[in-house]
Amino acid sequence: MLMPFIAKSTLAGNESGESRRAPMSSRAPDPESALSRTKVLVVDDQKLIADTIAEILSNAGFETMAAYDGWEALEAAGRFHPHWLLSDVLMPRMNGVELAITLRQTDPQLTILLFSGQAGISDILLEGQRRGYEFELLAKPIHPLKLIERLKQE
Amino acid sequence: MTAEPTPLPSRQLQVTERVTVDPRLHLAAIVDSSDDAIVSKNLNGIVISWNLGAARLFGYTAEEMIGKPILTVIPPELHFEEEEILGKIRAGERIEHYETIRMKKSGERFPISVTISPIRDEAGRIIAASKIARDITERRRFDESRFRLAAIVESADDAIISKDLNGIVKTWNQGALHMFGYTAEEMIGAPILRLFPEELKYEEDEILGKLRRGEQIHHYETRRRRKNGEVFDISVNISPIRDASGKIIGASKIARDISDKKKIENLLLQSEKLAATGRMAAAVAHEINNPLESLVNLIFLARQNCAPESKASKLLTTAEEELERVAHIARQTLGYYKDTSAPVALHIHDLLDNVLTVYGARMMSAEIAVDTRYDDLQKIFVSKGEVLQIFSNLIANAIDAMPEGGVLKVSSRKVFSGSKDGIQVVIQDNGRGIDPANLDRIFEPFFTTKGNLGTGIGLWVVRQLVERRGGQVSLTSSTSHNASGTTVTIFLPFAHPKDADDEKGKTR
Repeated sequence: MLMPFIAKSTLAGNESGESRRAPMSSRAPDPESALSRTKVLVVDDQKLIADTIAEILSNAGFETMAAYDGWEALEAAGRFHPHWLLSDVLMPRMNGVELAITLRQTDPQLTILLFSGQAGISDILLEGQRRGYEFELLAKPIHPLKLIERLKQE
Repeated sequence: MTAEPTPLPSRQLQVTERVTVDPRLHLAAIVDSSDDAIVSKNLNGIVISWNLGAARLFGYTAEEMIGKPILTVIPPELHFEEEEILGKIRAGERIEHYETIRMKKSGERFPISVTISPIRDEAGRIIAASKIARDITERRRFDESRFRLAAIVESADDAIISKDLNGIVKTWNQGALHMFGYTAEEMIGAPILRLFPEELKYEEDEILGKLRRGEQIHHYETRRRRKNGEVFDISVNISPIRDASGKIIGASKIARDISDKKKIENLLLQSEKLAATGRMAAAVAHEINNPLESLVNLIFLARQNCAPESKASKLLTTAEEELERVAHIARQTLGYYKDTSAPVALHIHDLLDNVLTVYGARMMSAEIAVDTRYDDLQKIFVSKGEVLQIFSNLIANAIDAMPEGGVLKVSSRKVFSGSKDGIQVVIQDNGRGIDPANLDRIFEPFFTTKGNLGTGIGLWVVRQLVERRGGQVSLTSSTSHNASGTTVTIFLPFAHPKDADDEKGKTR
């Protein structure tokens, strides 16, 4: 695998050892160095998606961390203190909306962007709305350039 | 009852011998052995002779009747007949096959057919009357059932036709008139082939072949042609008709118009297909969008790792473009399609706003201004995902039609359409419009005016979803200079179509 920043989950119990989510070093530093400090936590239960997005954003000058489910993401956020949460919606154990709500409660400054490949998630989104939370939702597949553009907007 | 005497060989032999002696004895024997009642009476209506047949028929013996008035066997209310009969006899007239009612000794009345002839003496004077009577109870019963059958045939909704073995129509009921439009006068004597569509004429040979072999044809579903040329679906039963000796002389054909049934079957089939498409779309969306996301990312990364002008980089750029096409198709068709959770009451304008928000960035960069007018205060029960899909496809089309910018007008209001209350949504762009030559085909699946960029299923999906919800979609478009643009009008009734509910119940 081409990812140098493989995160291991202690909560998931599928790997032993300590979490080793080292912030990724920028491979090709972005000339707009102002963005290099923007931290994005990328969460997707499809490891390949989380890893590739993390790498792309890292190459674009963001500081990134990847996590592969909601619990893992909570743990990672506690250490990483991201500016952005970019999360899949349908995930085992804890879905993206629950994750977003939990993180928003601890960090009101966090900007949240959800993305999903499925249409059958409106119930999850509605549940969030019922609790007073509404999040921007992007449809997979999203082109990396568009994603970068979106993240640079704020 | 038949008129044939019971065969008695010995007696016949005797009679034959006596014929040479006295022919009158022969006649007397015939009278005696006849099943018919043969009686004679004088001009006052007094019985003079009474054969065994009469005794059997009326229940009175000869002893009981000879010397008694014939009125004994005539029901009181018909006594007047006797006067008329005697009058005619006196005048020398013969009465043939007169059908009337007579009475048995038991009081039972029964129908008979009588032939009455005057009897003259040697001088030619009329002195009496002979009367041959036959019980026609059986025949009456047969006639009645025949009439009843004829009435049933005439009043049947089904077309009931008979034809001979050459395929020439022999009988033609009212049902056939209604079904095919031809009258009995037009069809009797004409070949039944007239009802066959050109491409099905071969069927008649097969049908006649089967009939000649004595086979029946049950519930055969085929198509026939009405007088007005319309071809429709029918189900036919064809059975051979045999004569008394069992020889096949023709065929009866009972045809039922099943065009309505076929239409419903086709509709069901279509909605089944649609439901299956929806299920497949959902499954595909699930399985495709995630790998697509990975692929897009991987290709992007691979390109970053190539020398910018290298061959590999160019190939990857092409791969990326191709992937974008796949992504586009997936978005347009699989996006919201499956979200067919139970319908909920909501404001249509909320869904419109929802979709406009999704396309907000795209419209801004294309310099498209949005003008919304919402006047739909009443909530409507709809499947949110389906309606989002409808608006999404239409608004995407509108945006595609205005690459150089323009105005997108979106309105919603409560209307009455026919007998139904509902919400009308109008989505109007002032883009390039649709070529009139293409207007007829735009709702066809896989028809597109966008060349390589179109999937050809956007409007098709719109129409399927709208009609399944019991609504209507219409589209007008103009390509004329300075007034070009396309307007799509959608009507969704408040009431849910029953069929759709049933259909949903079945597919869930």
